[in-house]
Amino acid sequence: MKRVSALSCFWKGFALSLSKPYLAAALWLLQLLLASVIILPVSNSLHDMLDRSPVADRVVANPDYGWWETVKQTHPDLLGNFPDLAEGLLTPEGVKSTAIGDAKGVGAAAISLCLFALVLHAFALGGVLGTLREPSGSLVVFGREGMRRLPAFLLFTLAAFAAAVASYRWVYLDSGEALKATVENLDTERRALAVTGLRLLALLAVFATIKLLVDSVRAVWVARPDLPPISRFFTGVGGFLVRFPRLFGILAISMLLTAGLYVLWLVLDPSAGGEARFALVPLILSQQVFVFIRCLIKVGYYAGISEALTRTISPEYSYAPALAGATRESESPSAPGEDATPPEPAAG
Amino acid sequence: MLSAKSAARAVRRSAAAAVVLTAAPALFAAERAKPIASYEITCALDTEKKTVSGSEKITWSNATNQVARTLELHLYLNAFRNTLSTFWREGRGIGREGRPLPESWAWVEIARMTYMDGTDLLPALTYIAPDDGNRDDRTVAEVVLPRPVLPGETATLTLDFTSHLPRVARRTGYKGDFYLVAQWFPKLGVLEEKGWNCHQFHANSEFFSDFGNYDVSIALPPRYRGKVGATGRQTEERTDSEGRILYRFREDGVHDFAWTADPGYLVKEDFFREAGLHDVAIRLLLQPEHSGQAERYLKAAKTAISGFGRVLGPYPYDTLTIVDPPWGARAAGGMEYPTLITGGTSWSAPRGIQSPEGVTIHEFGHQFFYGLLASNEFEEPWLDEGFTSYMTARVLGAAYGPNHTAVPVFGLKFVLGIDKQHPLDDARRYFTVATEDYGAAPSWKFKDRTVYGAMSYSKTTLTLATLERLIGTSTLDRALRLYADRWSFRHPKTKDFIAAVNDVTGRDWTWFFQRTFFSSGAVDYAVEEAVSKPAQAPRGLFDKDGRLVPEPPAELAKPTGFDSVVTVVRKGDVAMPVDIELRFEGTKPYRAQWDGEARWTRFSVAGGPRLTEAIVDPDEKILLDFDRTNNGRRTEADPRAATRWTSRSVFWVQNLIDFFTVVW
Repeated sequence: MKRVSALSCFWKGFALSLSKPYLAAALWLLQLLLASVIILPVSNSLHDMLDRSPVADRVVANPDYGWWETVKQTHPDLLGNFPDLAEGLLTPEGVKSTAIGDAKGVGAAAISLCLFALVLHAFALGGVLGTLREPSGSLVVFGREGMRRLPAFLLFTLAAFAAAVASYRWVYLDSGEALKATVENLDTERRALAVTGLRLLALLAVFATIKLLVDSVRAVWVARPDLPPISRFFTGVGGFLVRFPRLFGILAISMLLTAGLYVLWLVLDPSAGGEARFALVPLILSQQVFVFIRCLIKVGYYAGISEALTRTISPEYSYAPALAGATRESESPSAPGEDATPPEPAAG
Repeated sequence: MLSAKSAARAVRRSAAAAVVLTAAPALFAAERAKPIASYEITCALDTEKKTVSGSEKITWSNATNQVARTLELHLYLNAFRNTLSTFWREGRGIGREGRPLPESWAWVEIARMTYMDGTDLLPALTYIAPDDGNRDDRTVAEVVLPRPVLPGETATLTLDFTSHLPRVARRTGYKGDFYLVAQWFPKLGVLEEKGWNCHQFHANSEFFSDFGNYDVSIALPPRYRGKVGATGRQTEERTDSEGRILYRFREDGVHDFAWTADPGYLVKEDFFREAGLHDVAIRLLLQPEHSGQAERYLKAAKTAISGFGRVLGPYPYDTLTIVDPPWGARAAGGMEYPTLITGGTSWSAPRGIQSPEGVTIHEFGHQFFYGLLASNEFEEPWLDEGFTSYMTARVLGAAYGPNHTAVPVFGLKFVLGIDKQHPLDDARRYFTVATEDYGAAPSWKFKDRTVYGAMSYSKTTLTLATLERLIGTSTLDRALRLYADRWSFRHPKTKDFIAAVNDVTGRDWTWFFQRTFFSSGAVDYAVEEAVSKPAQAPRGLFDKDGRLVPEPPAELAKPTGFDSVVTVVRKGDVAMPVDIELRFEGTKPYRAQWDGEARWTRFSVAGGPRLTEAIVDPDEKILLDFDRTNNGRRTEADPRAATRWTSRSVFWVQNLIDFFTVVW
């Protein structure tokens, strides 16, 4: 069988994502629902501060440094240390988890939303991966599949979250602390930046490993319900180990596309320029279309991972019965020229 | 604090001041201070031991009317001797940049101290702590003289010393082969009529010394050839008998001496010449990784020499040395010494951010507010830091326009397209602690380092910028020039600046300074209410032909126009005169001045045009105003800005949630 490239897997996954746009729509809807929790406090505060203020003319189009600083100073409970926290994440020193203790107001609400997003994320991935394997799906199927796998997926998600937090501390924060004096004594700032870059790369590599491992387990968990849980878990781990380069490629393509999307957004910046560029309704639409496209890429990534790990249709579904003589995709180069097309389901 | 009586006397001197102003420029460049404390130092750098050893001859004149029975000496390096020093205790081991200080101990040893008559003074040397009584602090030494120095007399003493330098901490020290050797030699305090003014080295303080002539010879390993910079003019370069390279620097009319050496320096030389100002040879000692920023440094230096010189008079020295500290020696950056300043920049330093320009202009500004106008930085830090910050904002703004915000990304900086206006946005940190302390306090008596910085730098900047807007730029410039002309090469105090303002304006501005420099209150004016409704016919009972009738008189029955009410309140404790502007539909705005003393004032207009908005301080004169977002109010709400920002907020929270779930 021909070795399947990461690009091919991603592309097939993305095509699947496009063919089932309701999955991206479901993700978009979940994110919108979460974010809408803060609409009222943010909106009320902003209307209170701006509606009758002549300052509004200045800030309608672009951010105004003076207004923003004044808001932070006169409404310290609105955001708390959230801006510093966000900025701190982008520094060589990083942010310790204890900093969350100072979060207030909308900033604290945003952090809580992120924690709640963990649960919804576990639900959504169950829904996405389950529905992707259905010949015909719907939002109802998405919901059913999500709820069905929620306990296991929540466990995986929490384990991955804990692993990521621990690695951020051990790989990034602790290395920064340990190398502090060494970095200060380097000859040039360029070398110091290189050290930070290496620390960041190491962290990203660990994050990628965690993500791919947990996503592999999830994909196999959904694809092989015929196996006992422990076997599904280890099959997922095995798939991750055997197909790591391909999985990594899919992740890289997905991340590059997402990053490109953000660059495009920041360059075009429909939010800037005020009404001269976009009236309110087109602005909101453009923002939500952006989020939707990003969700399409995300679903494409999960479909690509699923594509790369297993192509057999689960025998658990009534309309997709167990395959007669189905062969699993081989990594062996001994069968060149044969694409790893999914076998036809047997009649049943 | 200046009393109203003395201020009034100062006002009466305004005629004399005008005469001084016209004669000053010529005098300014030529006149140097009469030397009070002069130093001849011969020393050598030991790069293995990280020490500077040498001998020093101090020639001191008693310029007071008091008999001096003792001498008091600063031994600044002893601040780094251990954690018991006042410097460490006050700073709790945290450096200027908010990072822990390196535990690199430093100190200065005096091996010999001899009076001019040959008396050994060492046995008479004791450590004193005039500010806090800390017996463990050894940054001030007192020496009892074998015989008193009478007013007008001159005394000479010689001493041998070794300065052990720290890994760069708080303005001085080494990092690898880089050295910034500052506050490094035993140095006299200032004898005033009330006695010695010789403060300990504090966590938040700088320096204070008498003017004198400096002649310093420094021997270094040969690899430092051509890579040494110092206060003053280089008068000699030769190889000594031990194969070391020896440099000699001299300068008259200065009150400190610092030097630097780094074999890695790229040396760039330039020259400043502008009609009406003094020629200056500029020497930039640059780190190789910042070679692309040489022009930025040099342009900033020239901009500063011109910008400050045009207001305060010519920079009178022949040289200016700019030091660019290396990576890891940030604590050596952003510092001023006579004719030598240290800058600081980052490798990426995008052009949209005014660095290294800002720090270069600021530190050069200290050549006036510290160098020439040698105020007591311990006791009145706003006179050097605040005045310099204010002038820096003006010079930067005029030459470079607004600064920009930047987002730091793992050590690199990326410019955001958001303007930061000079001087207001430079000084916003004041607002975060506006009422936490008085504007005027000795540097070590501020609540903490943040408050010290906010009050000394930022509040003073905003105070002077507000004054500029109240009396006019040219008037304030004349006051600054008068202050500089009167007090260059001397030790001015706050009252001397206030006197200059009063003399130039012909009015007593003492109230203004009492409410700013000497106050802990904040200024905040707000438009609390602005409404405009169609005028309505009066209701009730009205006189008509001797009877009460329910209809109003005909002339009131059909009112036209709008009834408008505006209420302006003073929310801050500090009162300032403010303008209030009422803007109407289709007519010129109405403007009134309010003395701002009461807690509120109200304007009512009956049957006028429709009021659209009311603004307090429409020309943005009162930069000290704590909250400018409440300075105006529209009569009709416009929800567009808030709605757009709500949509932005929701959008970015959606992205944040997605980003948060990307790994797991």
